[in-house]
Amino acid sequence: MLTLYRPGDGPWHRLPAGPKSLVLLVIVLGVSLLPASWWCAAVAVGACVGCYAVPGAGMRDLFRQVVAVRWILLVTLAGQLVFTGPENAVANTARVCAAVVISGLLTLTTPVSELLDVLERAMRPLAWLRVDPQRAALTVAVTLSTLPVLARLEREVREAQRARGGGRSLRLFAIPFLVVALKHADALGDALTARGVR
Amino acid sequence: MSYLELDDVDVRLGDTEVLRRVSCSLDERTIAVIGDNGSGKSTLARLVGGLTHATGGTIRVLGLDPARDATRLRRRVAVVFSNPDTQIVMPTVAEDVAFSLRSDKLPRDEKTRRVDEAMRRFGLTELAGRASHDLSGGQKQLLALCGAFVRRPDLVIADEPTAYLDARNARRVADHLFEEGRHRLLLVTHDLALARRCEKAVLVQDGAIAAVGAPDEIVAQYEVGLGC
Repeated sequence: MLTLYRPGDGPWHRLPAGPKSLVLLVIVLGVSLLPASWWCAAVAVGACVGCYAVPGAGMRDLFRQVVAVRWILLVTLAGQLVFTGPENAVANTARVCAAVVISGLLTLTTPVSELLDVLERAMRPLAWLRVDPQRAALTVAVTLSTLPVLARLEREVREAQRARGGGRSLRLFAIPFLVVALKHADALGDALTARGVR
Repeated sequence: MSYLELDDVDVRLGDTEVLRRVSCSLDERTIAVIGDNGSGKSTLARLVGGLTHATGGTIRVLGLDPARDATRLRRRVAVVFSNPDTQIVMPTVAEDVAFSLRSDKLPRDEKTRRVDEAMRRFGLTELAGRASHDLSGGQKQLLALCGAFVRRPDLVIADEPTAYLDARNARRVADHLFEEGRHRLLLVTHDLALARRCEKAVLVQDGAIAAVGAPDEIVAQYEVGLGC
Protein backbone atom coordinates (compact mmCIF):
# COMPACT_ATOMS: atom_id res chain seq x y z
CA MET A 1 0.00 0.00 0.00
CA LEU A 2 2.79 2.38 0.81
CA THR A 3 5.37 1.11 -1.64
CA LEU A 4 8.01 3.76 -2.05
CA TYR A 5 9.23 5.34 -5.23
CA ARG A 6 10.69 3.15 -7.95
CA PRO A 7 12.62 5.13 -10.57
CA GLY A 8 11.42 4.87 -14.17
CA ASP A 9 10.55 6.90 -17.25
CA GLY A 10 7.05 5.68 -18.13
CA PRO A 11 3.99 7.94 -18.57
CA TRP A 12 3.10 7.77 -14.87
CA HIS A 13 6.65 8.83 -13.97
CA ARG A 14 6.64 11.68 -16.48
CA LEU A 15 3.28 13.06 -15.40
CA PRO A 16 3.80 15.90 -12.85
CA ALA A 17 2.77 15.00 -9.32
CA GLY A 18 -0.19 17.44 -9.14
CA PRO A 19 -2.07 16.31 -12.28
CA LYS A 20 -1.15 12.69 -11.53
CA SER A 21 -2.75 12.95 -8.07
CA LEU A 22 -5.92 14.32 -9.67
CA VAL A 23 -6.06 11.61 -12.38
CA LEU A 24 -5.57 8.86 -9.82
CA LEU A 25 -8.10 10.46 -7.49
CA VAL A 26 -10.70 10.47 -10.27
CA ILE A 27 -10.01 6.80 -11.12
CA VAL A 28 -10.14 5.78 -7.45
CA LEU A 29 -13.40 7.68 -6.92
CA GLY A 30 -14.85 6.15 -10.06
CA VAL A 31 -13.98 2.65 -8.91
CA SER A 32 -15.26 3.33 -5.39
CA LEU A 33 -18.64 4.53 -6.65
CA LEU A 34 -19.32 1.47 -8.80
CA PRO A 35 -22.38 -0.53 -7.73
CA ALA A 36 -21.76 -3.84 -5.98
CA SER A 37 -22.18 -6.42 -8.71
CA TRP A 38 -20.15 -9.10 -10.51
CA TRP A 39 -19.47 -6.95 -13.56
CA CYS A 40 -18.37 -4.03 -11.39
CA ALA A 41 -15.86 -6.30 -9.68
CA ALA A 42 -14.52 -7.14 -13.14
CA VAL A 43 -14.34 -3.41 -14.02
CA ALA A 44 -12.41 -2.69 -10.79
CA VAL A 45 -9.92 -5.46 -11.56
CA GLY A 46 -9.69 -4.22 -15.15
CA ALA A 47 -8.97 -0.68 -13.94
CA CYS A 48 -6.10 -1.99 -11.79
CA VAL A 49 -4.62 -4.00 -14.63
CA GLY A 50 -5.08 -1.07 -17.01
CA CYS A 51 -3.30 1.39 -14.69
CA TYR A 52 -0.39 -0.96 -14.11
CA ALA A 53 -0.13 -2.11 -17.74
CA VAL A 54 1.30 1.32 -18.57
CA PRO A 55 5.08 1.18 -19.25
CA GLY A 56 7.11 2.07 -16.18
CA ALA A 57 4.81 0.19 -13.79
CA GLY A 58 4.02 -3.47 -14.62
CA MET A 59 2.21 -6.57 -13.49
CA ARG A 60 4.99 -7.46 -11.04
CA ASP A 61 4.41 -4.18 -9.21
CA LEU A 62 0.66 -4.81 -9.22
CA PHE A 63 1.22 -8.26 -7.73
CA ARG A 64 3.48 -6.80 -5.01
CA GLN A 65 0.88 -4.19 -4.11
CA VAL A 66 -1.89 -6.79 -3.87
CA VAL A 67 0.30 -9.06 -1.72
CA ALA A 68 1.03 -6.09 0.58
CA VAL A 69 -2.69 -5.61 1.30
CA ARG A 70 -3.66 -9.29 1.31
CA TRP A 71 -4.72 -9.31 4.97
CA ILE A 72 -6.97 -6.28 4.53
CA LEU A 73 -8.55 -7.97 1.52
CA LEU A 74 -9.04 -11.25 3.38
CA VAL A 75 -10.66 -9.55 6.36
CA THR A 76 -12.89 -7.47 4.06
CA LEU A 77 -13.90 -10.52 2.03
CA ALA A 78 -14.58 -12.70 5.07
CA GLY A 79 -16.64 -10.04 6.84
CA GLN A 80 -18.69 -9.24 3.75
CA LEU A 81 -19.26 -12.93 2.95
CA VAL A 82 -20.86 -13.43 6.35
CA PHE A 83 -23.13 -10.37 6.18
CA THR A 84 -23.86 -9.59 2.53
CA GLY A 85 -23.42 -12.67 0.34
CA PRO A 86 -20.85 -13.60 -2.32
CA GLU A 87 -21.64 -11.00 -5.03
CA ASN A 88 -21.46 -8.01 -2.67
CA ALA A 89 -18.42 -9.47 -0.89
CA VAL A 90 -16.40 -9.99 -4.07
CA ALA A 91 -17.45 -6.64 -5.57
CA ASN A 92 -16.68 -4.66 -2.41
CA THR A 93 -13.34 -6.40 -1.91
CA ALA A 94 -12.43 -5.76 -5.55
CA ARG A 95 -13.30 -2.07 -5.12
CA VAL A 96 -11.24 -1.75 -1.93
CA CYS A 97 -8.34 -3.57 -3.57
CA ALA A 98 -8.54 -1.40 -6.70
CA ALA A 99 -8.74 1.85 -4.70
CA VAL A 100 -5.71 1.01 -2.56
CA VAL A 101 -3.61 -0.45 -5.35
CA ILE A 102 -4.34 2.34 -7.85
CA SER A 103 -3.58 5.04 -5.29
CA GLY A 104 -0.31 3.17 -4.59
CA LEU A 105 0.78 4.19 -8.10
CA LEU A 106 1.28 7.72 -6.79
CA THR A 107 4.00 6.75 -4.31
CA LEU A 108 5.38 4.15 -6.70
CA THR A 109 6.00 6.65 -9.51
CA THR A 110 6.57 9.94 -7.65
CA PRO A 111 9.66 10.89 -5.60
CA VAL A 112 8.74 11.80 -2.02
CA SER A 113 10.25 15.28 -2.44
CA GLU A 114 7.77 15.95 -5.29
CA LEU A 115 4.92 14.57 -3.20
CA LEU A 116 5.99 16.88 -0.42
CA ASP A 117 5.78 19.91 -2.74
CA VAL A 118 2.31 18.89 -3.99
CA LEU A 119 1.02 18.23 -0.49
CA GLU A 120 2.32 21.59 0.66
CA ARG A 121 0.55 23.36 -2.21
CA ALA A 122 -2.64 21.36 -1.67
CA MET A 123 -2.70 22.15 2.04
CA ARG A 124 -2.14 25.88 1.65
CA PRO A 125 -5.87 26.68 1.93
CA LEU A 126 -5.83 24.97 5.34
CA ALA A 127 -3.52 27.70 6.64
CA TRP A 128 -6.55 29.76 7.66
CA LEU A 129 -7.49 26.87 9.97
CA ARG A 130 -4.02 27.34 11.50
CA VAL A 131 -2.72 24.15 9.88
CA ASP A 132 0.91 24.70 8.87
CA PRO A 133 1.06 23.20 5.32
CA GLN A 134 4.83 22.70 5.44
CA ARG A 135 4.62 20.86 8.73
CA ALA A 136 1.64 18.75 7.66
CA ALA A 137 3.34 17.73 4.40
CA LEU A 138 6.54 16.94 6.25
CA THR A 139 4.60 14.73 8.67
CA VAL A 140 3.37 12.65 5.74
CA ALA A 141 6.87 12.41 4.23
CA VAL A 142 8.42 11.43 7.55
CA THR A 143 5.70 8.82 8.10
CA LEU A 144 6.44 7.27 4.71
CA SER A 145 10.17 7.15 5.27
CA THR A 146 9.84 5.85 8.84
CA LEU A 147 8.06 2.68 7.73
CA PRO A 148 11.24 0.85 6.64
CA VAL A 149 12.92 1.88 9.91
CA LEU A 150 10.04 0.49 11.98
CA ALA A 151 10.19 -2.73 9.93
CA ARG A 152 13.91 -3.02 10.73
CA LEU A 153 13.33 -2.30 14.43
CA GLU A 154 10.61 -4.96 14.47
CA ARG A 155 13.05 -7.47 12.95
CA GLU A 156 15.75 -6.57 15.47
CA VAL A 157 13.40 -6.90 18.45
CA ARG A 158 12.15 -10.28 17.16
CA GLU A 159 15.73 -11.50 16.64
CA ALA A 160 16.76 -10.35 20.13
CA GLN A 161 13.69 -12.12 21.51
CA ARG A 162 14.63 -15.36 19.72
CA ALA A 163 18.31 -15.05 20.74
CA ARG A 164 17.25 -14.94 24.38
CA GLY A 165 14.99 -17.95 23.99
CA GLY A 166 11.75 -15.99 23.99
CA GLY A 167 8.69 -17.41 22.30
CA ARG A 168 6.19 -15.55 20.15
CA SER A 169 4.63 -13.68 23.06
CA LEU A 170 2.98 -10.45 21.90
CA ARG A 171 3.62 -8.79 25.27
CA LEU A 172 7.33 -9.64 25.22
CA PHE A 173 7.53 -8.18 21.73
CA ALA A 174 5.30 -5.14 22.15
CA ILE A 175 7.04 -3.52 25.11
CA PRO A 176 10.62 -3.44 23.74
CA PHE A 177 9.31 -2.53 20.28
CA LEU A 178 7.38 0.39 21.73
CA VAL A 179 10.46 1.52 23.65
CA VAL A 180 12.79 1.44 20.62
CA ALA A 181 10.14 3.05 18.39
CA LEU A 182 9.67 5.91 20.87
CA LYS A 183 13.43 6.33 21.22
CA HIS A 184 13.68 6.50 17.45
CA ALA A 185 10.91 9.12 17.35
CA ASP A 186 12.79 11.18 19.93
CA ALA A 187 16.06 10.99 18.02
CA LEU A 188 14.31 11.76 14.73
CA GLY A 189 12.80 14.87 16.31
CA ASP A 190 16.29 16.02 17.32
CA ALA A 191 17.63 15.29 13.85
CA LEU A 192 14.83 17.29 12.21
CA THR A 193 15.47 20.20 14.55
CA ALA A 194 19.19 19.98 13.81
CA ARG A 195 18.44 20.07 10.08
CA GLY A 196 16.56 23.31 10.37
CA VAL A 197 12.95 22.07 10.71
CA ARG A 198 11.12 24.24 13.19
CA MET B 1 35.56 36.98 21.23
CA SER B 2 35.61 33.16 21.02
CA TYR B 3 32.95 31.37 19.00
CA LEU B 4 32.08 29.18 21.96
CA GLU B 5 31.56 30.86 25.32
CA LEU B 6 29.98 29.21 28.34
CA ASP B 7 29.73 31.01 31.62
CA ASP B 8 28.51 29.18 34.72
CA VAL B 9 26.14 27.04 32.67
CA ASP B 10 23.86 24.54 34.39
CA VAL B 11 21.65 21.96 32.70
CA ARG B 12 19.03 20.14 34.69
CA LEU B 13 16.90 17.40 33.15
CA GLY B 14 14.07 16.63 35.54
CA ASP B 15 15.65 16.11 38.95
CA THR B 16 19.09 15.35 37.54
CA GLU B 17 21.76 17.98 37.25
CA VAL B 18 23.50 16.88 34.06
CA LEU B 19 25.90 19.82 33.72
CA ARG B 20 26.88 22.13 36.53
CA ARG B 21 28.74 25.42 36.54
CA VAL B 22 30.37 24.82 33.18
CA SER B 23 32.58 27.69 32.05
CA CYS B 24 34.93 27.82 29.11
CA SER B 25 35.92 29.98 26.19
CA LEU B 26 37.07 28.14 23.06
CA ASP B 27 38.16 29.42 19.68
CA GLU B 28 40.13 26.55 18.11
CA ARG B 29 38.91 25.21 14.76
CA THR B 30 38.71 21.61 16.01
CA ILE B 31 37.76 20.78 19.59
CA ALA B 32 37.42 17.30 21.06
CA VAL B 33 35.18 16.54 24.04
CA ILE B 34 36.08 13.35 25.88
CA GLY B 35 34.93 11.67 29.07
CA ASP B 36 33.10 8.65 30.45
CA ASN B 37 29.61 7.55 29.48
CA GLY B 38 27.08 9.66 31.34
CA SER B 39 29.62 12.38 32.15
CA GLY B 40 27.65 15.05 30.26
CA LYS B 41 29.56 15.19 26.93
CA SER B 42 26.52 14.69 24.73
CA THR B 43 24.49 17.16 26.78
CA LEU B 44 27.26 19.69 26.24
CA ALA B 45 27.13 19.05 22.49
CA ARG B 46 23.31 19.30 22.45
CA LEU B 47 23.53 22.52 24.44
CA VAL B 48 25.90 24.07 21.92
CA GLY B 49 23.68 22.85 19.07
CA GLY B 50 20.58 24.40 20.64
CA LEU B 51 18.88 21.02 21.18
CA THR B 52 19.00 21.34 24.97
CA HIS B 53 18.64 24.58 26.85
CA ALA B 54 20.64 25.77 29.83
CA THR B 55 18.79 26.11 33.12
CA GLY B 56 21.35 28.59 34.40
CA GLY B 57 24.28 30.69 33.22
CA THR B 58 24.94 32.19 29.81
CA ILE B 59 26.04 30.61 26.57
CA ARG B 60 27.09 32.14 23.24
CA VAL B 61 27.71 30.05 20.14
CA LEU B 62 29.06 31.94 17.12
CA GLY B 63 28.01 35.06 18.99
CA LEU B 64 24.39 33.87 19.31
CA ASP B 65 22.31 32.76 22.27
CA PRO B 66 21.02 29.23 21.38
CA ALA B 67 17.77 29.79 23.31
CA ARG B 68 16.89 33.22 21.87
CA ASP B 69 18.42 32.97 18.40
CA ALA B 70 17.62 29.29 17.78
CA THR B 71 16.52 29.76 14.16
CA ARG B 72 19.55 31.83 13.19
CA LEU B 73 21.88 29.45 15.00
CA ARG B 74 20.45 26.38 13.26
CA ARG B 75 21.22 27.94 9.90
CA ARG B 76 24.89 28.10 10.88
CA VAL B 77 25.29 24.92 12.92
CA ALA B 78 24.97 21.29 11.79
CA VAL B 79 24.72 18.33 14.17
CA VAL B 80 25.75 14.77 13.34
CA PHE B 81 24.70 11.99 15.72
CA SER B 82 26.19 8.54 16.27
CA ASN B 83 23.23 6.63 14.82
CA PRO B 84 22.76 7.63 11.18
CA ASP B 85 19.38 5.87 10.99
CA THR B 86 17.80 8.56 13.10
CA GLN B 87 19.09 11.32 10.82
CA ILE B 88 17.80 9.99 7.53
CA VAL B 89 14.46 11.55 6.70
CA MET B 90 13.88 10.99 2.99
CA PRO B 91 13.68 7.66 1.17
CA THR B 92 16.46 8.17 -1.38
CA VAL B 93 20.01 9.43 -0.97
CA ALA B 94 19.66 12.49 -3.25
CA GLU B 95 16.33 13.48 -1.69
CA ASP B 96 17.76 13.18 1.80
CA VAL B 97 20.70 15.45 0.99
CA ALA B 98 18.32 17.94 -0.66
CA PHE B 99 16.07 17.86 2.40
CA SER B 100 18.70 19.81 4.36
CA LEU B 101 18.22 22.76 2.00
CA ARG B 102 14.43 22.61 2.02
CA SER B 103 13.91 25.49 4.43
CA ASP B 104 16.61 27.64 2.74
CA LYS B 105 15.27 30.15 0.25
CA LEU B 106 17.64 29.25 -2.56
CA PRO B 107 16.83 29.02 -6.28
CA ARG B 108 16.07 25.45 -7.40
CA ASP B 109 19.17 25.34 -9.67
CA GLU B 110 21.42 26.44 -6.84
CA LYS B 111 19.97 23.76 -4.56
CA THR B 112 20.54 21.09 -7.23
CA ARG B 113 24.10 22.29 -7.79
CA ARG B 114 24.90 22.22 -4.08
CA VAL B 115 23.36 18.76 -3.63
CA ASP B 116 25.35 17.37 -6.58
CA GLU B 117 28.55 18.96 -5.33
CA ALA B 118 28.06 17.61 -1.79
CA MET B 119 27.26 14.09 -3.04
CA ARG B 120 30.39 14.15 -5.22
CA ARG B 121 32.50 15.27 -2.27
CA PHE B 122 31.22 12.44 -0.07
CA GLY B 123 31.35 9.80 -2.83
CA LEU B 124 27.58 9.37 -2.93
CA THR B 125 26.90 10.32 -6.55
CA GLU B 126 26.63 6.68 -7.65
CA LEU B 127 24.13 6.03 -4.84
CA ALA B 128 21.92 9.06 -5.54
CA GLY B 129 18.82 7.02 -6.43
CA ARG B 130 19.34 4.26 -3.85
CA ALA B 131 16.98 3.79 -0.90
CA SER B 132 18.63 5.56 2.04
CA HIS B 133 17.75 2.89 4.58
CA ASP B 134 19.27 0.10 2.44
CA LEU B 135 22.76 1.60 2.62
CA SER B 136 25.52 0.12 4.76
CA GLY B 137 26.28 1.71 8.14
CA GLY B 138 29.30 3.56 6.74
CA GLN B 139 27.38 4.85 3.73
CA LYS B 140 24.53 5.99 5.99
CA GLN B 141 26.91 7.97 8.17
CA LEU B 142 28.48 9.53 5.07
CA LEU B 143 24.96 10.46 3.97
CA ALA B 144 24.28 12.03 7.37
CA LEU B 145 27.53 14.01 7.07
CA CYS B 146 26.68 15.01 3.52
CA GLY B 147 23.26 16.23 4.70
CA ALA B 148 25.03 18.30 7.34
CA PHE B 149 27.76 19.74 5.11
CA VAL B 150 25.48 20.62 2.19
CA ARG B 151 24.18 23.47 4.34
CA ARG B 152 27.74 24.87 4.54
CA PRO B 153 27.66 25.27 8.31
CA ASP B 154 30.08 27.42 10.26
CA LEU B 155 30.13 24.86 13.07
CA VAL B 156 29.72 21.09 12.87
CA ILE B 157 28.88 19.28 16.10
CA ALA B 158 29.54 15.56 15.83
CA ASP B 159 28.41 13.34 18.70
CA GLU B 160 30.36 10.08 18.45
CA PRO B 161 30.01 9.97 14.67
CA THR B 162 32.23 6.91 14.31
CA ALA B 163 30.72 4.86 17.14
CA TYR B 164 28.93 2.33 14.90
CA LEU B 165 31.54 2.12 12.15
CA ASP B 166 34.34 -0.26 11.23
CA ALA B 167 37.92 1.09 11.08
CA ARG B 168 37.83 1.90 7.35
CA ASN B 169 34.53 3.76 7.47
CA ALA B 170 35.46 5.46 10.75
CA ARG B 171 38.57 6.84 9.07
CA ARG B 172 36.62 8.04 6.00
CA VAL B 173 34.08 9.82 8.19
CA ALA B 174 36.82 11.33 10.38
CA ASP B 175 38.77 12.54 7.34
CA HIS B 176 35.69 14.38 6.08
CA LEU B 177 35.13 15.94 9.49
CA PHE B 178 38.71 17.17 9.64
CA GLU B 179 38.82 18.39 6.04
CA GLU B 180 40.10 21.90 5.64
CA GLY B 181 37.23 24.29 5.09
CA ARG B 182 35.25 27.07 6.59
CA HIS B 183 33.66 24.91 9.27
CA ARG B 184 34.73 24.54 12.87
CA LEU B 185 34.32 21.16 14.55
CA LEU B 186 33.13 20.20 18.02
CA LEU B 187 33.72 16.46 18.25
CA VAL B 188 32.38 14.32 21.09
CA THR B 189 34.27 11.06 20.98
CA HIS B 190 35.46 7.98 22.84
CA ASP B 191 38.10 7.46 20.18
CA LEU B 192 41.17 8.96 21.82
CA ALA B 193 43.20 8.84 18.60
CA LEU B 194 40.54 11.00 16.99
CA ALA B 195 40.61 13.37 19.96
CA ARG B 196 44.36 13.76 19.47
CA ARG B 197 43.76 15.01 15.91
CA CYS B 198 41.94 18.05 17.30
CA GLU B 199 43.59 21.35 18.19
CA LYS B 200 42.08 21.44 21.67
CA ALA B 201 40.48 18.91 24.01
CA VAL B 202 37.96 19.22 26.82
CA LEU B 203 37.64 16.56 29.51
CA VAL B 204 34.16 16.28 31.01
CA GLN B 205 33.69 14.43 34.29
CA ASP B 206 30.57 14.13 36.43
CA GLY B 207 28.80 16.98 34.67
CA ALA B 208 31.66 19.44 34.95
CA ILE B 209 34.64 20.43 32.86
CA ALA B 210 37.65 18.79 34.51
CA ALA B 211 40.31 20.08 32.14
CA VAL B 212 40.84 22.00 28.91
CA GLY B 213 44.09 22.00 26.98
CA ALA B 214 46.30 20.40 24.37
CA PRO B 215 44.79 17.06 23.26
CA ASP B 216 47.89 14.98 24.14
CA GLU B 217 47.88 16.31 27.71
CA ILE B 218 44.13 15.98 28.21
CA VAL B 219 44.04 12.45 26.79
CA ALA B 220 46.99 11.48 29.01
CA GLN B 221 45.18 12.91 32.03
CA TYR B 222 42.04 10.95 31.11
CA GLU B 223 44.03 7.74 30.65
CA VAL B 224 45.61 8.15 34.09
CA GLY B 225 42.10 8.27 35.50
CA LEU B 226 41.27 5.08 33.62
CA GLY B 227 44.23 3.31 35.17
CA CYS B 228 45.73 2.55 31.71
